[in-house]
Amino acid sequence: MKITIERAALLRSLGHVQSVVERRNTIPILSNVLLRAENGELALTATDMDLEIVESVPAEIARPGSATAPAHTLYDIARKLPDGSQVELDATGDLLTLRSGRSQFKLGTLPVEDFPAMSGGDMGHRFALSAADLKMLIDRTKFAISTEETRYYLNGIYVHASKTKAGGADVPVLRAVATDGHRLARVEMPLPDGASGIPGVIVPRKTVLEVRKLLDEAADRIEVQLSETKVRFTFDSITLTSKLIDGTFPDYERVIPTGNDKVMEVDPKLFAAAVDRVATISTEKSRAVKLSLDRNVLTLSANSPEAGSATEELEVSYGAAALEIGFNSRYLLDITQQIEGDGARFTMADAGSPTIVRDVADGSALYVLMPMRV
Amino acid sequence: MTAPDDDNPFAPRRNTHLVGHEKAERLLLDSWNSGRMHHAWLIAGPPGIGKATLAYRMARFVLAKGGEDQGAGLFGAPPPPESLSVDPEHPAARRIASSGHADLLTIQRTWDEKRKRFKRDLPVDEVRRIAPFLRLTAAEGGWRVVVVDGADQMNPSGQNALLKILEEPPPKALILMAVDNVGAILPTIRSRSRKLHLEPLSEAAVVNLLGRYAPDLDRGDAVALARLSEGSIGRALELHQAGGLDLYRAMLGLLEGMPRLDILAAYKFIDDVLRGNDEASWSAVTELLGWWLQRLARASARQELPPEVVAGEGPLLARLAGPDRRERSLDRWVEVWENTTRLFARADSANLDRRQVLLNALLSIEEAAA
Repeated sequence: MKITIERAALLRSLGHVQSVVERRNTIPILSNVLLRAENGELALTATDMDLEIVESVPAEIARPGSATAPAHTLYDIARKLPDGSQVELDATGDLLTLRSGRSQFKLGTLPVEDFPAMSGGDMGHRFALSAADLKMLIDRTKFAISTEETRYYLNGIYVHASKTKAGGADVPVLRAVATDGHRLARVEMPLPDGASGIPGVIVPRKTVLEVRKLLDEAADRIEVQLSETKVRFTFDSITLTSKLIDGTFPDYERVIPTGNDKVMEVDPKLFAAAVDRVATISTEKSRAVKLSLDRNVLTLSANSPEAGSATEELEVSYGAAALEIGFNSRYLLDITQQIEGDGARFTMADAGSPTIVRDVADGSALYVLMPMRV
Repeated sequence: MTAPDDDNPFAPRRNTHLVGHEKAERLLLDSWNSGRMHHAWLIAGPPGIGKATLAYRMARFVLAKGGEDQGAGLFGAPPPPESLSVDPEHPAARRIASSGHADLLTIQRTWDEKRKRFKRDLPVDEVRRIAPFLRLTAAEGGWRVVVVDGADQMNPSGQNALLKILEEPPPKALILMAVDNVGAILPTIRSRSRKLHLEPLSEAAVVNLLGRYAPDLDRGDAVALARLSEGSIGRALELHQAGGLDLYRAMLGLLEGMPRLDILAAYKFIDDVLRGNDEASWSAVTELLGWWLQRLARASARQELPPEVVAGEGPLLARLAGPDRRERSLDRWVEVWENTTRLFARADSANLDRRQVLLNALLSIEEAAA
């Protein structure tokens, strides 16, 4: 393999792919990035064996071929080369020679055959969505992903096709759901073309975070490919392929209450600020905040034997019977931060039953929150 | 970060050559072909006979062939595979050899960079990597395989961490455990695994393998090493690298004088062995001495001399364990053997002075021989 590439392009691509390469790696081949040069493009691949990122950049190819070389070393070299310089990569035998201006580096390589293969095989399902939609699906659910390992099937976002009632008719939607058993986030969007038959898959947390990172500089259209065992996201020049969580997501519809009748509407920003203030007093461990509701007045309060107590009143719209209910302030803040409109609607039943939180203006997201005894 | 077996072409992860375990292979293959592969296997047997090599061989087979479509062809279903053998140049085999196969997880003792040796036990944190691995789908679409090399080195919490997975194994997951000592495995794990007992290799097989892995060795020495190692090619190679045969000869030279021990020669022998202060020669000398005592006790119990490892060994054994001494010798040699092995074990755990420990062992042999 022999190619010439612009330093900036090499640096940017290496920056993307090397983020999945762990610094301390006991397996030598995993510290390497796979370079494959063909058809006027250099493809760089890095993997931690759970997910794989491939980025293609245009390059001038003198001799097609492939090689693997230490990712971090290559990145550090590219970083230190002067801006605007041209880099020549020449792999022969088990040596990669990098030349740029008057600098020359020789790096040891490992056989390409030793490199993990993740991208093989046809994925079966394929659909496209906009970067904004994908961003929304991830941002509004990722806070609820569980980190507890015993219920490993909750350690990711459950993505599947479903139907929702809108104006009396069933509308097909693409749904993303995450829960940790205390709270649940469900976000939906109109079902993209080609997504109707997709299997329900659980995308692992690490993959979600990696995709989210790439979304910031991605083009507008993201292609998603799915199979029972893998998911692939294609941004314009970057492809991320990942394993999935091998498990069954619980029947979450069952925990979304339907008979809640006590409705409170509040400005989410004022509410979040008040909760945050009052929660200063609540104990580190429970972080409990009590909500006392009576005709259009919400009283937030917190008590702790060590720190003292706090109360704050807030004007809300509430017409049902008086109610006292407690929540974990952290969870309340996480959820209200997701609501962008000026109204958050809390639908409650009693102090022991789950509460539904929604954006008054936007029906696509729904949050369920378990109360705490206070 | 690199452990010494990283470049060893005969490390089980890379070695596609396995002899003497055809029966065990057949059993694995039949179980696979039956379509009801058990998810956990305990591959048991003495150290160095190819347990891990068999585990990796199975892993290679499952990862190379397991993903292939077994659906009916135009002329009926293809015949089931006849052997576990996989071409070492097969892409899956290449990736397994480089530790770069995303559907294979290896759990083994970690290399201690500071002390230049493997840690004594398999830490629970290593074992805990199994669950997250098996809870993700397969990267190449087929099976996921976990090889636990030295499963008996897991402590109870490690074993319990593994038990969680054996109790509720995910589909298309295979856990292969290589163990030297099945007794150290919790009964709860044993009862959930299929046991595969591997026998020590025949002397001829070890001699053949020595010809392959240590081609510089002459045949006489190879036979001697094969006898010394009792059917374990791993042990034979270890002894060969640690100069075990010369050590054994030197040891016998010293013991030759029994029932009198030449104390000056003993000091010199100990100094020679422990010069360099390296782990390999220490473990070789303790192992050889223990093994020789065991042999002595056995000879005295059976009243029959084992084949000589090195020439001239017979008369010594006969003298120490011969019929005229029979009434007392068996008990006595068993006792000496027990005491020395315990002493050696304590030398490791309590960091005793190795010189004194060796001298002590030799003196106790002298006392028993009197």
